[in-house]
Amino acid sequence: MNSRLAAVSRTLLLGLAAGSLFAAAAAAGPIEDRQEDMKKVGKAMGQLAAIAKKEAAFDAAVVKAAGETIAESVKEFKNDFPEDSKDGPPETWAKAEIWSNMDDFNKKADDAVTAAMAMAAVTEESNFMPAMGALGGSCKACHENYRRPKQ
Amino acid sequence: MKRTIAALILLAGVAGIAGWIEAAPEPRPADSIAAHQPDLENGKRLYTAAGCLSCHLPTKDDTAADRSLPSGGTALHTPAGTFYPPNITPDPETGIGGWTDIQFVNAVKLGISPGGDHLLPAFPYTSYIHMSDADVLDIKAYIDTLSPVKAANKAPELPLYLPVEQVMRRGLGLWKLAAFKPAPFEPDPSKDEVWNRGAYIVTGPGHCGECHTPRNAFMAMDTSRWLAGGPHPEGVGKVPSLRDLQKRGRYKDANDLATALEFGETLGYDKMSSGGMGAVQTNMSKLPAEDRLAIATYIMSLD
Repeated sequence: MNSRLAAVSRTLLLGLAAGSLFAAAAAAGPIEDRQEDMKKVGKAMGQLAAIAKKEAAFDAAVVKAAGETIAESVKEFKNDFPEDSKDGPPETWAKAEIWSNMDDFNKKADDAVTAAMAMAAVTEESNFMPAMGALGGSCKACHENYRRPKQ
Repeated sequence: MKRTIAALILLAGVAGIAGWIEAAPEPRPADSIAAHQPDLENGKRLYTAAGCLSCHLPTKDDTAADRSLPSGGTALHTPAGTFYPPNITPDPETGIGGWTDIQFVNAVKLGISPGGDHLLPAFPYTSYIHMSDADVLDIKAYIDTLSPVKAANKAPELPLYLPVEQVMRRGLGLWKLAAFKPAPFEPDPSKDEVWNRGAYIVTGPGHCGECHTPRNAFMAMDTSRWLAGGPHPEGVGKVPSLRDLQKRGRYKDANDLATALEFGETLGYDKMSSGGMGAVQTNMSKLPAEDRLAIATYIMSLD
C-alpha cells in the first residue's frame, strides 16, 4: 500500500473508531457497556504486551496503571451480562454458554481481576513475565469458552 | 465440520435408497508399509501438532478421568447428531491397543476402521492423508507408550429421522468417492526446506484447512480457496482467512505470527483463543520453535 492510501485508510479507520465510540456513548446498554470495558482492557493489554515483546521498556508506573485499569474494567464488565443481553443489536460475541455457566464465568472473571491486581503490584522487571503469563492465561481461559468468533 | 456431517447424512440417505453400494477407497494391504523403526520423540511432536488429545478428551463430567490421556468421550454437537470421539489410549478392550500398524495407517490416512467401516470425517483423515507413513507410525508408537484407560466408546446419537449408523457409513463411502482424494503431500521444489516443512504441518497433521478452508458443493475442502476462511463449523460466526495476513496488517512477519502461535493471549494476541483456536494455540505452544517458525513462514507466504 502506498503511503497516501495508508494515510487515507488510517483516517477512515480513526473516523470509524470515533463514530463507534460516539454511538456507544449515545446508546449505552449492557452490550455497549461491556464492549467499552473490554476495549479498555484491550488497550491496557496492548501496553503490557509491548513491554513483554520488548517493543517498549519496562516501566513500573505503566504496569501499575495498566493492571489497575484491567482489574477495574473486568469488575465492571462482570455486571454487564443481564439475561436480556444475550443478543444484540449491537452485535455481541458473547456465547450463550455464559448464561448457562454463570458461576464459572464469574469465577474466570474473578481470576482475571486477581491476575490484573498482581500485575499492578509488579515493581521489578524480573517479576513481569510470570505476571503477564498469568494475566494473559486468564484472558484466554475465558475467551476460549465464552467468546465466539465474529460474524 | 458440522455442515460436512449434515451433507454426509444427506448423501447417506441417497446411498440407502440406491441400495448397499460398496464404495471405495479400499484399505491398504499390510505389505504396503515399509519396515519402520519408530521415533517416539517425533511421534509425540506430531501427536501434539495433530491435536489428537484436543478432540479425544475425556468429558469434564468424568472427574476421575485423567484429562492428559486421550480416552475420548467429549461430545461433538453437530446439526446431524452428537458424536463422541473414541478412546485412543492403548487399552486392548476399549481403546486401540492391539491395532496393527496397517490398521492404524488405514484409519488415520484413509478413514477406514479395522472392521472395514468408513469413519466420519469429523476425524480429519482428509488432512492426515498428507502425512507420511513414517510420521503416522511414529504417532502410533507414541500412543502405545501412554497409559491404557478403560473407557467404553459411546455410539453417536442421531435424530430419529436419520438413517441408522450402518447406512450412514455406507453413504460415507460414496462421499469419499466424490470428495476425498487420497493424494499424499508433495513438497514444492521451488521453495526452501522451512517453507515445505510448514506447508506439510499445516496441510497434514495440523489439519488447518479443515476449518480455515471453505467447502464446495460436496462439502470437501475447496482447494482453489485454500485457507481463505469460511463459515465456522459450529454454525455461528466465521473462521478467518489465513491469506494475505501481512498485507491486511494482521501480523508483521513470520516471526510475529510464530510468537502469536507460541504465546497467544499471553502476549495480547487476542484472536488466538476463540472458536476452538485456543486449544490449537496451546498445542502449537508445545511444538519446537522451528516448527512454529516453519508454520508461520508458510502461512505468511500465502497471498
